Amino acid sequence: MVFLTVTNLIRVRGPDEIWRKRKIFRLAAAFIGRRRNCYSVAVRNVHRALVYATKARKLKKEDMKELWNTRITAACEQHNISTFTLKEGLDRSNIMLDRKSLSDLAAWEPRTFECLAAVAQKKLEIDGFIDGADKKHPTGVNLNLKDVMLEQWLKEKK
Amino acid sequence: MSAVKRVQQWATFARTWHVFDCKWQDPYESAGVIKKYLMGLHKPIYHPMNDCGDVVVCINSREIALRGNDWRQRAYFHHTGYPGGATWTLAWELHSKDPTMIIKKAVYRALKGNLQRRHTMERLLIYPGETIPDDIKQNITNQIRQIRLVPTRLDHIPEEEVQKYPKVMEYPEDYVLK
Repeated sequence: MVFLTVTNLIRVRGPDEIWRKRKIFRLAAAFIGRRRNCYSVAVRNVHRALVYATKARKLKKEDMKELWNTRITAACEQHNISTFTLKEGLDRSNIMLDRKSLSDLAAWEPRTFECLAAVAQKKLEIDGFIDGADKKHPTGVNLNLKDVMLEQWLKEKK
Repeated sequence: MSAVKRVQQWATFARTWHVFDCKWQDPYESAGVIKKYLMGLHKPIYHPMNDCGDVVVCINSREIALRGNDWRQRAYFHHTGYPGGATWTLAWELHSKDPTMIIKKAVYRALKGNLQRRHTMERLLIYPGETIPDDIKQNITNQIRQIRLVPTRLDHIPEEEVQKYPKVMEYPEDYVLK
């Protein structure tokens, strides 16, 4: 029995099928095996990949923030101050540096970071702010703004 | 200091060797501290893909102190893989068999369960006593501060000092000390 009616055309989605599939195949180009060659498998995996990509845009920012925090904490520990002291002190002295810049300074310009830490600590000292942070395991040397910024610089042979 | 040498940092990626004295320390508290040095979290150049972890040498692991009644209550689980192969070893039992095991397991548990964990653990050396082999001892350059202060035991204070210490009163001669 041959159907010559319109029911035959239900499966046909239109003349531009190849272009519609091509869009999916382009996105699946980097996949492996049937995931890139077979449309019905590819489309499922492309949809999943797009969902991951959407979620990852947020996760990437969170991961970076975590990394910056780790680095800043490590650098603060070297200078014997808490992260809270650093943040509060810098805020009070109107030094508006974000986590990214601070961690970059800590990694690439340790001396600059040392000065910033000394400034933050001095500012809190001048303000009479009592730092309630628990400093049970001081590891570094206590900072002194004068030593860090001026005297060392003067002593250095240019 | 010349302009070129201003930013020269030869030893940035060098491994430092730390020593940690476990005497009278809680292994689960100290695991957090040891982990920080093993993973390199104490360096501002830290990155998960960056191999910047240090080596930690733990000494006196026989002298660790567990909390509360953990010695009697904490059980370490092991399964051989065969049916009925499960064993539960109590902390005191495990410690008497291998005095390095509790601190090792504590640090292993503190580390994140990823592919790096076993490689990171390779950098942790534990010794039950105070003696460290000379080839390891010569590398050590830093000591990690203990979490808790180790108090002097009363019976370890020399007799002279005890005698000299000011007293409120003397016991009567016929008083029987328990």
